[in-house]
Amino acid sequence: GVFTHLEMLETQAHEAGRKQEEKEQQEEKLASLQQRVEELRIQRDQLRAKVDLQQKRKSGKKEIVSHAAESSPGAVLDWKLRRVKGMLQIFYLTGISGKLTKRGVCFSISTAYEGTYLDSYYLDLLTKPAVQIHRHSIPIFIPLEQISKRYLQTDIRRFLSVLADHLNAYARRKYQADQLQERFSDHLEGSLQRNSLCNLLAFNYKVPSEGKTFPFSARLIYTDLCCSLPTEVVVSCTGKCLGMWKETAAAHSELFRRMALHKAFCTFISAGEEVD
Amino acid sequence: MDETVAEYIRRTVLKIPRDEIKSMLQKWGFLSEAQLQTINFHQMKDNVSQEVVHLCEENSADIKQAAVLDIIYNHIYSSKRMWSVYRMQKTGEEPEIFDLQSFKKKFKRRLLSVLENVTINFREYEDNAIWIRVAWGTPYTKPNQYKPSYVVYHSQTPYVFISASVLKSNLPLLCQALVVASSYHDIHEMELRSHSLNSLKDIVFKRYSQNFQTYCPRPIQDRSGEPEIADLRITQENRSEKERIQRVTREIFGDGPQPKLEFAQYKLETMFKSDPKMEVLAKKEPFRCQVKFSSPHLLESLRSLAPAGMADAPLSPLLTCITQKARNNFRIKEKRSSFPESFVSP
Repeated sequence: GVFTHLEMLETQAHEAGRKQEEKEQQEEKLASLQQRVEELRIQRDQLRAKVDLQQKRKSGKKEIVSHAAESSPGAVLDWKLRRVKGMLQIFYLTGISGKLTKRGVCFSISTAYEGTYLDSYYLDLLTKPAVQIHRHSIPIFIPLEQISKRYLQTDIRRFLSVLADHLNAYARRKYQADQLQERFSDHLEGSLQRNSLCNLLAFNYKVPSEGKTFPFSARLIYTDLCCSLPTEVVVSCTGKCLGMWKETAAAHSELFRRMALHKAFCTFISAGEEVD
Repeated sequence: MDETVAEYIRRTVLKIPRDEIKSMLQKWGFLSEAQLQTINFHQMKDNVSQEVVHLCEENSADIKQAAVLDIIYNHIYSSKRMWSVYRMQKTGEEPEIFDLQSFKKKFKRRLLSVLENVTINFREYEDNAIWIRVAWGTPYTKPNQYKPSYVVYHSQTPYVFISASVLKSNLPLLCQALVVASSYHDIHEMELRSHSLNSLKDIVFKRYSQNFQTYCPRPIQDRSGEPEIADLRITQENRSEKERIQRVTREIFGDGPQPKLEFAQYKLETMFKSDPKMEVLAKKEPFRCQVKFSSPHLLESLRSLAPAGMADAPLSPLLTCITQKARNNFRIKEKRSSFPESFVSP
């Protein structure tokens, strides 16, 4: 009757369901195998390309560059990376580099003295509506306002180069003063007087000669803020001044004018005995 | 030696924590090493200070030398005082040669020409900071050594840090002397105040950590906040949101430590915005209200708000502009149609 009919329909539905499941499973398996085949094909192509490249290199053909389009994407990427790294290295060496930001450009100026890297300073510029400084980490005693008033709107390259000159000169003056304090502290009497820009240095020092030490006092003024050598030097002998010490003072004054402070000290400290 | 000087030295030594007394006296340099050896620093501070006063008597200390000890104490414990920042202005482009001796001379001359009864002391420190201590008197009384003003000035900068004494009437005179001595022509107070002198310096000298986008090869700091959860059954549902918050916070605050400020104060002079039916303040006057954020370290706590989930990132620009605008006291007026954000008065 009705029940047996229903039972029959039920079993038919079951069967249909089961068959459907089986079919789906088969399809899944097929799809995954097909994917595997694709992967293996790609691998095979890559390996083939590698082998080709090897063979070409071995045979010494010089058209490798023109084959760039044929070689694998990995090699192109490598080349691009090397080029970018080279650019970064150039930026690092020249000291000024810039990066585009959402609203303008961010510049970084690195300072250095003869191969020793000193501090880096940053400038965040906006380019619209006009070029203006958004944020920066330039020390307050560098005349940034003056420099930007003169060059920022008209010639940005000049602005950066003048600013970099100021920063580098300041960093070098500071380095010289620091070196003097660190390396020649036993030749200094009292403390080294300096100001924020390190463009006025005053100190007393002594020069050993024939078992005695002779005291001098020096005052260095750097009126040119872009220069790391002083424009004005006054060296005087503070003790009993014999004629020859006046000559020494003049000689030291010349040295300080011509070469870096710590180098000048090196020169006359080591050559002290020979001179006198 | 004067009684008042002896008392002043005694009280100054009493302020110093016991373990620091010896090193501070050594820095002072007024008592010789031999004399310092005779003091027993392990007894009660009262007795230590008495012994110090005795030795100072032997060396006939005067008030100027005692004042130097006071400067040394305040230099080390500068966070006990509240410092304000002043900015000086100059007109032309004058040469930047700063001569310390001429600065000191001009400053002294200016003050002494107006007020004879002042004690002025200078002390220079390694970081080019010039500390000035001024004790004020009146034309009829001697200077009050217990309420001096302190000024910290870095040469060739337009900023001066002042911790005024309670006697505020002398402030204009002090400012005038500073302006004359440093060859500027005007000075005004900035809206920046804190107990941490170094943090104030960091803010105005732009020494705090800012996040600049550069190509410079700097080592990328590995900031691994939470330990890696090893259990694979736990998944982070909002990992991308967390990363976004970290990135935005880093962009705003940078990587390094923040300057230490204790408060940020906002005086609101804006209209109260409410449901028109509620009819609060029908007079349409600005709703005067003051919001003050206080914290032992305000900027660090602001930095940790978004990562801790307590605020949205990015934070309101009113909070994040504190270091860049170099102020922690704001007056907020009504929005004007031309500006997209609230107008913050200068």
